[in-house]
Amino acid sequence: MQQITDEAYDSYLEERGLTRTQYTTMELLAVASAREVPDGAFVFAGTGLPLLASMLAQHTVAPNMTLIMEAGIVGPKVEHLPISVSDPRGCLKGSMVSNMADTFGTTALRGYCTVGMLGGAECDMYGNINSTIIGGYWPAGVSGTGHGPHVRFAGSGGANNIASFADKVLLVMVQEERRFPERVEYLTSVAGHRGPREKKESRWDYRLGRGGELVMISDICIMRNNPETGILELDTVFPGMSVDEVVANTGWSLNTSKAQELQPPTEEELKALRMLVDPSRIYLGRRSKREAAAQQK
Amino acid sequence: MAEIMTAREAVERYIKTGTQVCWGGFSYTRRPFTITREVIRQRDRIQHHFCTMNGGASVEEALAANDLVSRMETTYVGLEGIQPVAYSIRRRIQDGSIPLFEDYSNYGYAARTIAGRFGWPFAPMMAELGSDIPEYDTFGKAGLRGKNADGSWIDPRIPPKKFAVIDDPFDGWGLRPHAFDGGDTTANKTNAIDRTRESDKYTGNKGVKVLLVPPVLPEVTVIRAQRVAIDGTVRMEGILGPDAEQAMCAKVLIVECEQIVPSDELRATPELNHLPAHITTAIVEQPFGGYPSAVPNYYDYDWDWFVSYGRLNRKSKEEVKEWWTKHVVDTKDDWDYLQRIVGMNRLFELRATPGYGYRADLKRPM
Repeated sequence: MQQITDEAYDSYLEERGLTRTQYTTMELLAVASAREVPDGAFVFAGTGLPLLASMLAQHTVAPNMTLIMEAGIVGPKVEHLPISVSDPRGCLKGSMVSNMADTFGTTALRGYCTVGMLGGAECDMYGNINSTIIGGYWPAGVSGTGHGPHVRFAGSGGANNIASFADKVLLVMVQEERRFPERVEYLTSVAGHRGPREKKESRWDYRLGRGGELVMISDICIMRNNPETGILELDTVFPGMSVDEVVANTGWSLNTSKAQELQPPTEEELKALRMLVDPSRIYLGRRSKREAAAQQK
Repeated sequence: MAEIMTAREAVERYIKTGTQVCWGGFSYTRRPFTITREVIRQRDRIQHHFCTMNGGASVEEALAANDLVSRMETTYVGLEGIQPVAYSIRRRIQDGSIPLFEDYSNYGYAARTIAGRFGWPFAPMMAELGSDIPEYDTFGKAGLRGKNADGSWIDPRIPPKKFAVIDDPFDGWGLRPHAFDGGDTTANKTNAIDRTRESDKYTGNKGVKVLLVPPVLPEVTVIRAQRVAIDGTVRMEGILGPDAEQAMCAKVLIVECEQIVPSDELRATPELNHLPAHITTAIVEQPFGGYPSAVPNYYDYDWDWFVSYGRLNRKSKEEVKEWWTKHVVDTKDDWDYLQRIVGMNRLFELRATPGYGYRADLKRPM
């Protein structure tokens, strides 16, 4: 890791009212996500937390990873935090610039997408992500209702494709019960097993020949999907949160038997995140809804 | 033969009510804002158009805010870090004022542009299976696919099917990992192609299935490149996105650029060029015209513009449209807009830092 002097770090902390050991929710999420990246991985990261986590992973646990940006950049050495998958910052010192079809074909389909980091509006018990609509898919021209969906989200972007090809998907979401239904209303991306094998509803039954491992990281917990059943189970509870709170904010009957406590972010992880990845705190400065609500109280 | 013209002429000539326009660039980079702003200036004449693209959504947000979108065929309508879902687009899909929307994924749409670029009847792609994306066919439901009784296409810009699934005639031989003597060199560790052979979904047969997509063949594609030669040869710099493919398969190609250069300049190294002279229809020279998006090696995106617009576009539709009237429609052209509304000071603050391609010290407060 680059050398950061104690002096520089201390003055940074003082200016922003931070300490070496205390962390915000965003920082916690970035650290927890970064830890999931194996060294040497080819990481497809969207903007925001996924990118923070990828850059942190590159500085800590996965120095030999290759970052793939969706706009077609392979292996950039990022210095300034990109705010878009097509931000020119994500192109810096890349090994190659290719087109969009290359990102998903030449890179991912050919076997160089080992970790995908995604967000979503809804995630169900089998790890299916909805980032398209809530309250009816059909647009007004064909819905017969005179209007379109109740809520329209951004759509798949590259998420469907990343979920189809990655060995492992990291899904970062805010934990609210309404966002974790038993079944998503619209299936944008198959990030986990998709459905029960015994009913021939699994990702392999639907011709997805790779992947299946899903880690869901929310602002209060980490869930992993059971390798046999494909159902998301509670893996880690974050400090200050209770198992009950997680269960109350999950729309299916959550298995909590394997729940453990998180190893909190280390000083080194926080220092790298703050000084190297997002020193202007473009993303780190954001507060989660829970944090904001707690602060208001 | 590529013709040099003003943005006004290009839009008057090639963009009519309901024209299918494929907008180039990707998200915050190299978006063709000069033509976009001119379309907005001519909004009363154009009224609405069929928007197709793979790199939303700043341009599309601007067009939707001016009620210029009647159909969208795309993969993503967000503004990423600044606004997860572009609000002008979102509210209109919800309330129905954008009545038709066809969803794809980035790879699905990109595969379509590859088919278009290479002149193929379709392209294979291995994602979207298992999801709901192929299950909902908006254009099909609207009766826009296929032929009329007299044999003509109901809408020649819309393929007769959204997608097709076939059994791989080569039985998965070409798919990675390809086992040479027991192993292959892919980085992926989960390789379950054989597990998928058991299923007979999609085709009714066991074996390996392949999803096919038809090409996208836009009536008009608009892209912004850094340099275009006087003969129409196009060279882009930095992130390419889907532009070369989207441009190759267009009937009419409008290229706006920072600079028109002598042909020899680009022809000295043809391997660095992305589009050949013969496919360019119109060239529009407008320095800084990609504003507020970034044009690598020239200028950065205007972060402040996006942040303040992301607050503004949540006001009433009328207020937002009035904002566009005041800031764009009431300007004579992009020279007027860039100098009078944006100001040279701001443009110079965004100039790319040598060695980076963007403004390395750009302040980005929320």
